[in-house]
Amino acid sequence: MFVYTIKRLAVAIPTFIAVLLITFTLTVLSPFDPVAMMMTQFEGTLDTLAREEVIERIRDQYGLNDSYWVQFSRWIGRLVQGDLGISINGQRDVLRMIVKTFPISFQLGLAGAVVTTILGIPLGCIAALRQNTWLDYTIVGGTLGFRTVPVFVLAPLLLVLFVLVLDIMRVPRGWDGLFQSKVILPVFILALGPLPVVVRQTRAAVLEVFSMDYVRTAKMKGLEMWRIILRHILRNALIPVVTTLGFIAEGLIVGSIFLDSIFAIPGFGGVAEAGFRGFDYPVIMGVTMVSAIMIILTNLIVDLVYPFLDPRIKIE
Amino acid sequence: MSESSETVSNESLREELAGESALQTRSLWKDAVGRLLRNRLSVIGLIITLFLLVGALFGPYIAPYSYTEQDLLNVAKMPSPDHWLGTDEIGRDLFSRVLWGARTATLVAIFTTFISVIIGVVVGAIAGYGGPLADNITGRIIDIVMSVPGLLLAALIAVSIKEPVVTWAENIYDTTGFPLFADTTWLDLLVVFGGLAFVSWPGYARLIRGQIFSLREEQYIEAAKSVGVSELKIALRHLLPNAIGPVIVTLTFSFSSAMVLESSLSYLGIGVQPPQASWGNMIASNIGSWSYRPWLVAVPALTLAIVTLGINFLGDGLNDALNPRSKRSI
Repeated sequence: MFVYTIKRLAVAIPTFIAVLLITFTLTVLSPFDPVAMMMTQFEGTLDTLAREEVIERIRDQYGLNDSYWVQFSRWIGRLVQGDLGISINGQRDVLRMIVKTFPISFQLGLAGAVVTTILGIPLGCIAALRQNTWLDYTIVGGTLGFRTVPVFVLAPLLLVLFVLVLDIMRVPRGWDGLFQSKVILPVFILALGPLPVVVRQTRAAVLEVFSMDYVRTAKMKGLEMWRIILRHILRNALIPVVTTLGFIAEGLIVGSIFLDSIFAIPGFGGVAEAGFRGFDYPVIMGVTMVSAIMIILTNLIVDLVYPFLDPRIKIE
Repeated sequence: MSESSETVSNESLREELAGESALQTRSLWKDAVGRLLRNRLSVIGLIITLFLLVGALFGPYIAPYSYTEQDLLNVAKMPSPDHWLGTDEIGRDLFSRVLWGARTATLVAIFTTFISVIIGVVVGAIAGYGGPLADNITGRIIDIVMSVPGLLLAALIAVSIKEPVVTWAENIYDTTGFPLFADTTWLDLLVVFGGLAFVSWPGYARLIRGQIFSLREEQYIEAAKSVGVSELKIALRHLLPNAIGPVIVTLTFSFSSAMVLESSLSYLGIGVQPPQASWGNMIASNIGSWSYRPWLVAVPALTLAIVTLGINFLGDGLNDALNPRSKRSI
């Protein structure tokens, strides 16, 4: 087990370093000048000479005049100390911005993952048990639809439907903790994104287990159907569903980028969106790295947990 | 006596074979089309896709107004006979803009799919034929690209290459004076292509590599090898036709996801810039007013939702049609 863990880590860490390198290279290669953008707010207040000097001072302050490898090593050094830099728009500490907003998004994401599982596993089960009937097609086709319909399409459409057409809720805005009714719609929208992956995986797994000898034996013993499903099928079918966790994590992160501003949730995704809209490099880099860490970690955990769930998988 | 019975059985065998070959004239493709048209959802998907393509090709001729034309007497009006889907916050005809948006989305999807298929096939072939080391290296690169959420990476690339691309075009214009480079609107599209292609190719590379590895074990490939057919010929004559089914299915799905990614980038203000029409930036510029001008958000949003749904249904139908063995057991 120890060797296996080390091996998985040996794959995960270089992947992360490569992500760092890509992120950094992309932002450095771009001659887009954040300082010039910053200067637009002082437009007209500085004369040309002072302006040049101020720009040069700011460039030095951010170390933008150094060579690529100097900047990269300095950046890595700062990262190790937990310094993600200071945002260009608003001069705020990027790590603080992320640390402050991350717990909110994490709670929302966790709730979304729970809803996805609670909805996805029974739906996948039903689809498999009623294979090739209209119910199967409806479940698979219906959830497939949400696979690519993005959050920024779904959210306004559902808002219009629930608030304006059906008039059954007030506009859900803001964040007062997880156990509030205004959280229902955002969590539901988040959960719909990764739902089809869970449904399909469950359906395929149940179909496979269904043809196993022990299920046939249980049937022949005269066991009731629900007992067979709970005791024999689900137990074995749920193992492969664990592998979808990586997809779920990615779906939740991307979903929150759009969700946060629509529902005025002060979350991680909102920070990312503002970063992109403002070409705020330190923020964009911080957000990309944290997302990559989350996904790499999730996949690592899946890899490490899987042998315990399925002893047939040999630990090398 | 015994001889005649043998001829009879030979005769009947021949007849049987002839009957079989008559059956086989129903080719794989004809069969696939039949299966596709029998599936109701995929027919709906096909119709929606055709509508999209017609809208993208002939949109500018169908559209009653230009995408920038403002009707300042009718700003933010509900749908009416003059403006079928209403007008937006600065008086532009929504129906026309949705049609122009279809053109943007289709253009991006076609180019992105095209570029990423080429990269994916090349990388996949290197992984499949280049030996274990090449396979390992390409595999690691794919893992790295896939460990960052596609949208974030595409956005990061688009943000980073935007300025260099614009300066590059300006330089070309300065030296050559070529009128094409004076207009920078299409550069936005170029930036989007680049970002999207970079995040979409790993899917194809994995698919092609998998196909090469699994088909290589097939007996007909082994048979071809043993009679001395060259690797290249095997790849073109045997591998390619057998791998084309899964590739077409993946093409369909990635077509719709490229559209969604383009809209997402444009929604974030990175992709296609206003006044160019993209469903993403149309949603973005009106999302704040959804509660009192709902149609301005609902029209582009519904269009995007219906189109992606339709293409996905088509992809699902193609999957069943081109993979007769799977028979929906996924």
